[in-house]
Amino acid sequence: MSWVLLLLQTSLRNVLSSFLNVVIGLILLVGTAVFVVGGSLVDSMDKAMSRSIIGSIAGHAQVYQASSKDSPSLFEGWQIPDLDPMPDFSKVKGPLMAHPNVAAVVPEGINTAIVVYGNTIDQVLEKLRKACSPGTRQPQERVASLKSHVRQMVSVIQSDMAKLDKVAAKGAVDPGSYADLRRASSPAFWDGFEADPFSHLEFLENKIAYLVPDSDQIFLSYVGTDLDAFSQSFDRMQVVDGQAVPKGQRGMLLSKYVYEDQFKLKAARRLDLLYEGLTTKGKTLAKDPVLQDLVKQNKLQTREIVLQLDPLSTKKAVAILQGTLSSKETDVAKLLSLFFDTDDSNLVARHKVFYDQLAPLLELYRVKPGDFLTIKAYTKSGFVSAVNVKVYGTFQFKGLEKSSVAGAVSLMDLFTFRDLYGYVTPEKVAETKALQRAAGAKFVSRDDAEAALFGGSSSVQETSQKTIDASTLLSGGKLQRADLVSRVYSREEMEKGVALGAAIVLKDPSKLEATMKDLQDICDREKLGLKVIDWQKAAGNLGQFVFVAKGILYFATFIIFVVALVIINNAVVMATLQRVREIGTLRAIGARRLFVLAMVLTETIVLGLVFGTGGAFLGSAFTLWLGSAGIPAGNDWMYFFFSGPRLFPALSAGSLMGAYLVVFLVTCASALYPALMASRVAPVRAMASED
Amino acid sequence: MAKNEEIVSIQGVHKDYPLDKVVVKALQGVDLIVRQGDFLSIVGPSGSGKTTLLNLIGCVDVATSGTVLIDGHDTKTLNDRQLTDLRLNTLGFIFQSFNLVPVLSVFQNVEFPLLLQRRFTQAERAKRVDGLLAKVGLDKHSKHRPSELSGGQRQRVAIARALVSRPKIVLADEPTANLDSVTGETIIDLMKHMNKVEKTTFIFSTHDAKVMGHANSVVRLADGRIDGRKTKAGKHG
Repeated sequence: MSWVLLLLQTSLRNVLSSFLNVVIGLILLVGTAVFVVGGSLVDSMDKAMSRSIIGSIAGHAQVYQASSKDSPSLFEGWQIPDLDPMPDFSKVKGPLMAHPNVAAVVPEGINTAIVVYGNTIDQVLEKLRKACSPGTRQPQERVASLKSHVRQMVSVIQSDMAKLDKVAAKGAVDPGSYADLRRASSPAFWDGFEADPFSHLEFLENKIAYLVPDSDQIFLSYVGTDLDAFSQSFDRMQVVDGQAVPKGQRGMLLSKYVYEDQFKLKAARRLDLLYEGLTTKGKTLAKDPVLQDLVKQNKLQTREIVLQLDPLSTKKAVAILQGTLSSKETDVAKLLSLFFDTDDSNLVARHKVFYDQLAPLLELYRVKPGDFLTIKAYTKSGFVSAVNVKVYGTFQFKGLEKSSVAGAVSLMDLFTFRDLYGYVTPEKVAETKALQRAAGAKFVSRDDAEAALFGGSSSVQETSQKTIDASTLLSGGKLQRADLVSRVYSREEMEKGVALGAAIVLKDPSKLEATMKDLQDICDREKLGLKVIDWQKAAGNLGQFVFVAKGILYFATFIIFVVALVIINNAVVMATLQRVREIGTLRAIGARRLFVLAMVLTETIVLGLVFGTGGAFLGSAFTLWLGSAGIPAGNDWMYFFFSGPRLFPALSAGSLMGAYLVVFLVTCASALYPALMASRVAPVRAMASED
Repeated sequence: MAKNEEIVSIQGVHKDYPLDKVVVKALQGVDLIVRQGDFLSIVGPSGSGKTTLLNLIGCVDVATSGTVLIDGHDTKTLNDRQLTDLRLNTLGFIFQSFNLVPVLSVFQNVEFPLLLQRRFTQAERAKRVDGLLAKVGLDKHSKHRPSELSGGQRQRVAIARALVSRPKIVLADEPTANLDSVTGETIIDLMKHMNKVEKTTFIFSTHDAKVMGHANSVVRLADGRIDGRKTKAGKHG
């Protein structure tokens, strides 16, 4: 053993014996440090992202119909995968739940829909129509207030049109619009309103409302699921506004992120982003072009607020703005533009004034908990289906509040989802049967259709034709809709129907791989025709992010170490050439070739391990520092990858071991040729004179 | 096997070196017998073949033709490993430039051949190395690095290293060439002392008249041939 110790001792002493060795060592040190830090970062991000994906929608694994054209991709936005439905979810749940490591099987299906809104004037006109209608009539003061609001809107539109006329090409504005606006702003028009409100409203709706170009449509991604099971299985989910959908009922929870981003008054949303940028992200308006752009938009786009204000609210707003800005300006649009002209010194104060004083005059959100949303979606067979669904509130995933990825989807009950996706629900079966009965239609099979239509008696007989009473159907329809909103479905009803897929939540996630294999075996044995995939695959391209990050890291490390390998190889060759006499001496006094080979290899490996250890320490120290300071999530995507506002990387044993392995392999590979070369040095070289 | 006393037997040895398109004939038919306990000096002008002859005796090179028997072993018939083992166990080397391993201490440099032999325990090695260092007067320098020693001290370390494995022959190529005359004298005295005490055969090359005066046998080389041999007893080889 002593000669092994001698080898090590000689090698250790040789480590710092030449400048070349120090250069080699520093390359290895940097490479190792990069590997340790990068590896720990990627591992930590992998864990964080898995928490985000598993904890939001995916669960630990997903099952879906194996015959499907695509596989689930839960975070792909508008690219909805083509999945075949599971005809009866209850038949899937039972066998899967029988596995001892399965905590929950939650039915899920993703779809997208469009929510279309009228513009601001449409919304006020609708209120005015309701206030004037017999069934929903409101006090005269309310009607008067809405009327004056509409008059103010007409006046705003008139002034906008006048401006437009000055800059637009001749003929760009329909001359008829001026006449309509003149009529809508005339005292005579409003004097006659009380006598015939509905024809006046019709005129305003058809001739004036379309002149305001702020109608909007919102694209909504949603997961249709058993909401009760979902909230129990995904414990990061929390209701923010309103309440959870009552157990077993139809309803929807909007994602808080989408609610803020899409349903909020745009100026208020922009002000929020500015406030957040300055107070929590450490950005400044003076330097950040994105924030500067938000200010610019807020200054220019005051119309949404102006149109929302009725004359009384306008007066109040003018007073507030004059006080805040110390201005004598009376035009509310100009005052708002000045108010939103924020900089680093006044933004926080303006934000406070907006929410404390101006927001009470405005409707900050287009939808409030308790409102109904009309959602339109394409069914599986391609036609558009529309469903009214009650919004009970908003929700978010704890720790992922600011993530646009986790916050991209809203939640919907399974029945509404099935309606929108075009699946046959119990109500639809009942409705079809009622229509069949009402129309006196009888069922004819495809094979008998020709005979039934053209066969039998040669003469055409007139058959009795029942008349469907539209009013009965309509009122029946209303009743049915009311029933649907309050109806409580049993779990059995919910589960005995189609689902597009299901999330599987495990008791012990560390056994994911084995459990997935067992579950696939169960699916095959029970002939369920299902495929089991893990969360990473279910997340689609997003799940591959870590692979990409790992690929980049390994590629960068590979390049560093390839460069190191070439440099080390050259350096060791040079060092060997410089030591020919020393090696020759060792050979002359009795060292075998193998000893010389081992000596050069050991020296290089020891050099690698010494500096590698230095690099590992350096990398570990840096990782630990990062672990305590945290890396801030620069944007919404990073928020998701970091599973929160900051990533706190943990030192990964795998990275440390990997770094050592790579250093070992690189030094071995780079020293092999010089070592062989050294072992071939003839002992006679010892006799060479010093010069 | 040679006679007991004949430790080196060289018969009709030629050594050629190809140099570009020319062949340099370094040795041309050399015959030489060295007996156990000789203190033999090989002398001659530069290029006469002294170092080549030492290389052949030291088994670091092989003859183009002729026979070289070292301790009864025909070096031509041995492979690299056998030659290495022969060097390790039978021969000791003292080099003109000392050739110590710079990163090892004096003790470790001397101990090195014993470690290669793998025959001795740590205690046995320590005893032998310490004993030799005391004999060459460097017992107080055992932890020093070669760079901390004078030229004479380094050569004494080299002598200790050459003797530590108790070889039958010690070869020294111009052992005093890099030393001043006084130190050179001391080194030769030390070698002679070791020759007497340890009965080790010393073969050394030199072109220093003073140094060759210490030899009990002097072989003169010229143009790759033995020009004559003188022994203190007056015999001519």
